[in-house]
Amino acid sequence: MLLPEHDFVKPATLAEGLAVLRDAPGDVRLLGGGTDVVFNMRCRLLTPDTLLSLKDLPELQGIAVLPDGSLQLGAACRLTDLVAATVLTERYPALVKAFRAVASRHVRNLATLGGNLCLDTRCWFTNQTKEWRDAKGPCLKTGKDVCHAIAGAPVCVALNNADSPPALIALNATVTLASSRGERRMLLQDFYLEDGIRHTTREPDEILTSVTIPPTTDRLVFLKETARQGMDFSYGAIAVRADGSGATASRLRIVLGSLTTAPRLLAGAAERLAVLGLGDDGLDAACATLRDELGPLTNLYSPAAYKRELARILLRKAVLELREMQA
Amino acid sequence: MKKGFITLHVNGDAHEVLVSSQHTLLDVLRGKLKLMGTKEGCTTGSCGVCTVNNGRGEAVLSCLTPALEWADQSITTIEGLEKNGCLAPIQQAFVEYHAVQCGFCTPGVIMSAQAVLNLTPAPTEEDINDGLAGVICRCTGHIKVKEAIRHVGEFGTAP
Repeated sequence: MLLPEHDFVKPATLAEGLAVLRDAPGDVRLLGGGTDVVFNMRCRLLTPDTLLSLKDLPELQGIAVLPDGSLQLGAACRLTDLVAATVLTERYPALVKAFRAVASRHVRNLATLGGNLCLDTRCWFTNQTKEWRDAKGPCLKTGKDVCHAIAGAPVCVALNNADSPPALIALNATVTLASSRGERRMLLQDFYLEDGIRHTTREPDEILTSVTIPPTTDRLVFLKETARQGMDFSYGAIAVRADGSGATASRLRIVLGSLTTAPRLLAGAAERLAVLGLGDDGLDAACATLRDELGPLTNLYSPAAYKRELARILLRKAVLELREMQA
Repeated sequence: MKKGFITLHVNGDAHEVLVSSQHTLLDVLRGKLKLMGTKEGCTTGSCGVCTVNNGRGEAVLSCLTPALEWADQSITTIEGLEKNGCLAPIQQAFVEYHAVQCGFCTPGVIMSAQAVLNLTPAPTEEDINDGLAGVICRCTGHIKVKEAIRHVGEFGTAP
């Protein structure tokens, strides 16, 4: 099936791209590697008037070590290049594991970091062929005020299935967004919104240009649960970060991915772990807070009870792994 | 642009083709250049039968990338592997090891295998598994495919 007709624009510079984004009429979509956008266009979930290719923009390339020791990753870095970068494999092996957890090598050879961070939310009803969707009619995401996946859902509850955000949020990463109005930076955890339709705070005229990771020697663990090891979207993922002793509360961070519409930072469980330590006492106390802290979960893709149990198991496994790293 | 001429370097030949924004690289390879070796499978990035190699010799999915994105880029398809009528070592190894059943996914599997060998001439088990994770064979499995790759990795030539 052909893609929907659109105007394909490949700007030479970021400034040119931002001008197109500001001035082009209608729906302008940003294209990284295309592995998400092209798929959604084929399903006619996206029918943009303009597709703005960002993959080769010089301003969005490369991995740089900043003077303060932070790492800056260009948004157009391919996931393959990040997996292969020695500066990452040496300092942040768990982050590399998260990048590598994305789909298959074939997809990572195309897919970009910016694309993974802005990956559209997914839902078993909406992310199907147009014929499938037409059988039941539009939903919240496609223009009507009804959710066909979760009866009575007031907002779109599609899941954020991206693999890299939990690890990057655990590392306190910030994202830089550029527009013709200027530039702004924000914590990656504040970039995501609990809304399946407008799932990031990116404004329509903005382009995500880079991700900055502050320097740290803390330990990080990333785990992803999928149907097969190969290349599936995850059922649930976790990133847990702790300093050498695991006792500095401000640095202990637990982030869950793929269970909710936005990656979920678990401050309460992290606080228990920090206060009681990474031993069994701390772990049990942290697990006990999970249910309350996660709050209501949807049955989207997997039952809420399964998601709660998975969160608990992932947290357990991650903390066990952290213990081993510290031994 | 909605439509325009781009130059594609496919298997060493430069082709000037009229491409629309509606075409993916796969549409152009099969529909315009009549290189039917590359197959159209799921077109959603799950099966890997449309795999071709990019200019760096890496495996990429031709179904998930707009053709206009490939202006002036080099691509190798399954047709580009043989030299002077002789199969490439990996192709010959697939024959010798019976790594083919119905054959539909084979171009994608061979291009994925070739990419593994391009990047890691002596691939480890993990390299091979990682390189094949994106292609699915519905008939049989990856055992014989892996044996064929292992052979070329070890000896550098076909059996």
